Amino acid sequence: MAAVPTDSGSRPAAGARFFCTAGRGLEPFLMREVRARLAATQVEYISGKVFFTTCSDLNMLKKLKSAERLFLLIKKQFPLNVSSVSKGKILSEIQRLINDDPESWLNAISTWKSLLELDAKKDKLFQRAANPPKRKVEENDIINAKKLKTEQLQELQESGECPLEKQTEEETQEQGDFFTEREKSQEAFQNDVVKAADAKNQSNLTFRVSCRCSGAIAKTFTAQIFIHLNDIYSVVGIPVFRVPLASRAYIKTAGLRSTIAWALASLAEIQAGAFVLDPMCGLGTILLEAAKEWPDVYYVGADVSDSQLLGAYDNLKAAGLKNKIELLQVSVIDLPLPSESVDVIISDIPFGKKFKLGEDIKSILQEMERVLHVGGAIVLLLSEEHHRRLKDGEQSSIPLNSEGSHTGEPSIKKCLKPGGKTGTSEAVSSSFEASSQECLDKTPPFGSLVPVECHKVSLGRTDAFICKYRKLHSLGL
Amino acid sequence: MKLLTHNLLSSHVRGVGPRGFPLRLQATEVRINPVEFNPEFVARMIPKVEWAALLEAADTVRTLPHARARPEWGGGRGRSHRRPGSLARVGMPRGDLGLCPQLHLVEVPKEPIEGYEHDEKFLRKMHHVLLEVDVLEGTLQCPESGRLFPISRGIPNMLLSDEETET
Repeated sequence: MAAVPTDSGSRPAAGARFFCTAGRGLEPFLMREVRARLAATQVEYISGKVFFTTCSDLNMLKKLKSAERLFLLIKKQFPLNVSSVSKGKILSEIQRLINDDPESWLNAISTWKSLLELDAKKDKLFQRAANPPKRKVEENDIINAKKLKTEQLQELQESGECPLEKQTEEETQEQGDFFTEREKSQEAFQNDVVKAADAKNQSNLTFRVSCRCSGAIAKTFTAQIFIHLNDIYSVVGIPVFRVPLASRAYIKTAGLRSTIAWALASLAEIQAGAFVLDPMCGLGTILLEAAKEWPDVYYVGADVSDSQLLGAYDNLKAAGLKNKIELLQVSVIDLPLPSESVDVIISDIPFGKKFKLGEDIKSILQEMERVLHVGGAIVLLLSEEHHRRLKDGEQSSIPLNSEGSHTGEPSIKKCLKPGGKTGTSEAVSSSFEASSQECLDKTPPFGSLVPVECHKVSLGRTDAFICKYRKLHSLGL
Repeated sequence: MKLLTHNLLSSHVRGVGPRGFPLRLQATEVRINPVEFNPEFVARMIPKVEWAALLEAADTVRTLPHARARPEWGGGRGRSHRRPGSLARVGMPRGDLGLCPQLHLVEVPKEPIEGYEHDEKFLRKMHHVLLEVDVLEGTLQCPESGRLFPISRGIPNMLLSDEETET
């Protein structure tokens, strides 16, 4: 787990160990991406995080598209033991988390520096990172501070109550960190804080502190340390970039979250020279992500809304992609395209109160199917409701066996929910590929569109489904 | 709207069916955009092209009586640039309403030639016609029903009204 420091300042020969945060449900996409893009090894994941080893430099790491943020791993280990809610014991556990194995800290820091030497001009500062605060800090906060020098770890007096809180997994939207740059300082500070509320013990108020720094005090720290403690693991790392990977320089106004947009495109089998259509393109996020990754392709975006198309036009212009993506003002249920003229369709089907479609999801799919080439793929982002409606359509066309159940036949749709298994990290190699079996012997629900795979992903407050279909044969309409 | 896109659009007015292709193009404002030449990409587009429709559209653009050419958004300097071997970027000062000489399209091949995948000259001509001609303002007309669809800011509006979509 410890990184190998190098002398020459070139990239670490044996590879450095990183982890990325990822939206729930995107972990399989990210694992596939780090293997493909970075030739990553030792790839494993837990809910919301993907761990991997790679020799790639910052330029390649920067290109990751399905990750939220990237960190150099300092340590990952079993969760802290909270069997006894004793202030002293928990405190010493945390101290051990920090103090044990100083080598892991030094190695990570030196890898971090050598990575940045290839890149950065200024020194970065170390600073304790803030986990997204679950509740406000109370008045009787006590902030534990530790000074971490590069050569040795020193402990300051700590006080306070700190039983651990059961932290629910909410990794999807990372809060901003507070990197500041400073020319000279080599000193690293670390604020060590973990407190939590104990629901049973009302009189004994316990709390967790998250420390955000800005302004003058932020400048006294050289860098950030990210710590995540929960029931499954304790992870400590250093953020590699100031800005989350998920925030794209080339997208002016994002509609759909960029990581999900890229994930949709990555399933679509986009080949050079293909005609790719997004018939409900909105601000064009999916097409932007696709065009950046697969440039030698003919992209067309369509929408009914003037304002959305104007926004898409602006986005295309800002990204320098106006020559790669054409826009049309047309309705998805009435596409002015000849049948079987499109190779790939990717779309985020809008849902929610703002969206006044009026037509149902089935008519949309019918028209998409009409314009699609035989063998072509459709990748959609569906709300839970849309997904349920489509699934009902499928269920009704599946012949039941004598027991009245669907067992004994390959399931039409496997909904993967990575992270369903807790407690262990696992390499998910087979489940991603296994789900892409086509059910050729089933009555397809929509003309000849056959479901290929389906992934549940988190959009923050709601969940959605990435669903892929393939057109098997023409209906001869 | 590129001519490649025009080549793929078909009128969807009810009852028109395949007679809705090709849409008759009328352009009032056209821009020539330099686009990076990718021979493999162009070669892949060739099989998709409906040649008669392309020739007709190219002719309309070429012979526009009131055509105006605008400098590329945010890029025009008001001066023409000439690059050897390809048409110049349009660099007319704004307000010039005359015919733009740069609209002389390179002659459009009448049909794909044998071995076109390796014929760079042919591919460059097709690249120019399909990808570098951008119709900013104009109309598309359904040849069967006569319905007009406007093009504005390069975006064709082909939304049908409720009555038109009723079967």
